[in-house]
Amino acid sequence: MNAAVNTVNLSSAPHARDKWTTPFIMRMVTLSLMPATIVGILVYGWNAFGIVALSIISAVAAEWVFCKICRKPSTIWDGSAVVTGLLLGLSLGPQTPLYCPVIGSIFAIVVCKCCFGGLGKNFINPALAARCFLLISFANAMAIKPVIDAVATATPVGAMKAGEAVNITKMFLGTADGVIGSSILALLAGGLLLWSLDIIHGEICFSVLIGFTLFMGIFGGKGFDVNYLLAHLCGGGVVMGAFFMATDYVTSPVSKLGQLIYGCLIGVLGGLFRLKGNTADSFSYAIIIGNVCTPLIDTYIVQKPFAYRKVGKTRKTTKEPFRIPKPVIALTLIAAIAGVALSGVFSVTKDKIEEQEVFKQSVAYREVCPEATSFSYNDKAQEILGNDGAETENATIYACYVGKNSQNELVGYALSVGAKGFGGQVIMALGLTPEGKITGINFTELKETAGLGMKADEPEFKSQFPGKSVSVDLVKGAPQDDNDISAITGATVTSTAVYNAVNAGLNFYETVLKGGN
Amino acid sequence: MKKYIERLWNGLIKENPVLVLMLGMCPALAVSTQAANGIGMGLSTLAVLVLSNFVISCLRKVIPDSVRLPCYIVIVASLVTVTELLIKAYLPSIYEALGIYIPLIVVNCIILGRAEAYANKHTPLLSVMDGIGMGLGFTIALTLAGMIRELLGSGTVFGLRLLPESFGMTIFIQPPGAFLVFALIIAVMNAIGIKTRQRQLVESGCDGNCSLCSTACEERKAEPAESVKTAESAETASVQKGGDQA
Amino acid sequence: MNNTSLIMIIVAGALINNVVLNQFLGICSFLGVSKQMKASISLGGAVIFVITIASAVASLLYDYVLKPLGMDFMKTIIFILVIAALVQIVEMFLKKKSPAVYKALGIYLPLITTNCAVLGVALTNVQDGYNFIQSVMSGFGTALGYTIAIVLLAGIRSRINEKDLPAPLRGAPIVMIAAALMSIAFMGFGGLK
Repeated sequence: MNAAVNTVNLSSAPHARDKWTTPFIMRMVTLSLMPATIVGILVYGWNAFGIVALSIISAVAAEWVFCKICRKPSTIWDGSAVVTGLLLGLSLGPQTPLYCPVIGSIFAIVVCKCCFGGLGKNFINPALAARCFLLISFANAMAIKPVIDAVATATPVGAMKAGEAVNITKMFLGTADGVIGSSILALLAGGLLLWSLDIIHGEICFSVLIGFTLFMGIFGGKGFDVNYLLAHLCGGGVVMGAFFMATDYVTSPVSKLGQLIYGCLIGVLGGLFRLKGNTADSFSYAIIIGNVCTPLIDTYIVQKPFAYRKVGKTRKTTKEPFRIPKPVIALTLIAAIAGVALSGVFSVTKDKIEEQEVFKQSVAYREVCPEATSFSYNDKAQEILGNDGAETENATIYACYVGKNSQNELVGYALSVGAKGFGGQVIMALGLTPEGKITGINFTELKETAGLGMKADEPEFKSQFPGKSVSVDLVKGAPQDDNDISAITGATVTSTAVYNAVNAGLNFYETVLKGGN
Repeated sequence: MKKYIERLWNGLIKENPVLVLMLGMCPALAVSTQAANGIGMGLSTLAVLVLSNFVISCLRKVIPDSVRLPCYIVIVASLVTVTELLIKAYLPSIYEALGIYIPLIVVNCIILGRAEAYANKHTPLLSVMDGIGMGLGFTIALTLAGMIRELLGSGTVFGLRLLPESFGMTIFIQPPGAFLVFALIIAVMNAIGIKTRQRQLVESGCDGNCSLCSTACEERKAEPAESVKTAESAETASVQKGGDQA
Repeated sequence: MNNTSLIMIIVAGALINNVVLNQFLGICSFLGVSKQMKASISLGGAVIFVITIASAVASLLYDYVLKPLGMDFMKTIIFILVIAALVQIVEMFLKKKSPAVYKALGIYLPLITTNCAVLGVALTNVQDGYNFIQSVMSGFGTALGYTIAIVLLAGIRSRINEKDLPAPLRGAPIVMIAAALMSIAFMGFGGLK
């Protein structure tokens, strides 16, 4: 148990001041979020209202049902479910399908809060954990589609990452695209109100903002350019997170120093994810990682109790003679016997295994180079590849075969290429026409995640390749031009591996095989 | 005859290795992304478990006590490698489906756990039955979790589409989903188990919640004096006993 | 081998592809030992030590003995023997030189032999084709990730009071829910390059 909490205060977190009861705090927080909510509804329309309302209703209902099932008195009147629902609703985009706030709220209340024992017993911010849960579960549905600026293809943060300029004033007022609660002006008004009432700790919200700003300034690549920093501060839930999410009493450290450390950690992580990550949201993850570290911070940033002394160490002076223990001999013997047995089985099965491998490979080659009746080597290629294949920056080319038909004419090439995927090497047979166009790919080794990376073996993905040549580009979403390959949603590593391998093969053709045998 | 059936029932329900004894979580979480994987992994583990229990039970008087763990590991690793080589050579289609899971069996705590807790103290035939029971329990747990995760994650069960693709919550195919689904299954089992095991509370001082207890039930019953000890020392005792099961 | 990519191997092992929360190796001790903070820290430290050295030795053995002799299939057994021997040596060493640390670790030291993560890392290094330095970095990163995960979970568990929880959730389920939430948090590192 958290010793500091137990010895200093008999009630559980949130530790209210004398004049503030929990319902009062919750009502003040709800009030301070009202400006942002109102602006959001005005700007984004009835969709926004529906999402926020549904989110609050689901949260309250979930808590009521859970209390009923557990036969405990209903806790919905302390207002914390309303706050969670409101925060979650405000952090969603206006075009989010309605099942998202419902499922999210239920997850937030039931899993993140009630399972741990209710208000004050959770360790993670329910609204944010639910948001991340939704981001991972419904990646496409949660993507923010521009409502206001029909021409733009991304939110302001997306545009900034791509290097485009954004309109800071719009973001400040809340009239740019984004989540429902994105009016910085309204959020600041509410946040400063809470801070002035001492309901939230300045140590947290300001250290988050300062940490983030410093990190972006130092590592962002544009120095301390005011426009650049302001733009990043106004987008992507930084202000909302700093004032309303990170400052949650229950999930933030108790001590002042702990709060400063916690805030800086969140700011830095947020910056790191904003600059280097490619997940849809940087700040949500930064804050929940901060939450995960809070108990640790609380354990170690505590004043030492009185009369605390370290006990001295006692030393042993007896020495024992060193012998090889008998059991070690027995172990070695067993290992040796096992080794011999294994070698025996191996030698028996070795040839059969090799046979299977070769058969599998030849089937794969035949499928990508169907007109060939025989495969042979290309001298120039063999010189480069040797016995072990050639390694490029991201991939390896294992073998190269020339397919010839019965008249001994060149009908195509079959290359064995591979790259590092998620669960090991992704190896495929890549078929090329004599002109260097892809005929198809056939995986000979694919050990990726079922349901995600393994989708690479499905016709939907594989059919993108035939016809392409010279090089391919990997894109998320729909292909924009002829040489684009659509990545598999949720399987970036696998898609990248395939893309690297295919490009290595195409490059090999361009540099070595082109121009005939 | 009854003792052999009892072993089966034990492994399947009463001391299900994954859900009750909390062994073999590593492969259980990793593999249960689809129901079919659950069956594949479960059956391969069953085969290795039965063989390993048999061999270790036969050798139980020969293996020295202080290095028994490394010995078990060597035996299990050899068995797994032999299985892998044989399947790779003679059943290539099965290897394609199961291939990656077979080396994972080496790090399956169930095999070592059962070797330590059962096989080295009982006769070979009983050990074999124990292996079958535990293996079946493992398979069922994995398949159940796999079915839930596959259904929620991609809308299919064993490849049959039951829900439209857009309903899939991909988080269930990924690590957090694994933890959540198993937490749910164990919680449900606890809820049922707490009701049916109230009398154990009186008998041996355990709280009916098997998930954190790593000793076998029969060992606890034989030492009623344990219940008198304080919670702390009881925990130390059970950790030491079950310590080698990791 | 430039420095940034070595650092990336460590970061990748520790945070992006966390051994416990992502690869599901070492779960058994992760769930069991995280009940006490002190034990978690001790175990984490011991694990870092053992895994790093085991990765180094395994990598050398594989590159210079097993692969040239074509005995790839023996790697599982050899690696496990190396790990068992290493743990034994560490135990004997600590017993003589630093009895206090030995006592603090208690039974957790022999537990490392059966920790899936140790063998898992050695095998993954081989699978990814890492050379010696890369293997050591990868092992260190993995062990660091393990330690971070187990210490963080221990912190969270110290806050959880079993009496507050609904009865069926006491014990393992709540720990797994906490692990699920940690796993969600760590997915934030997923897209880092």
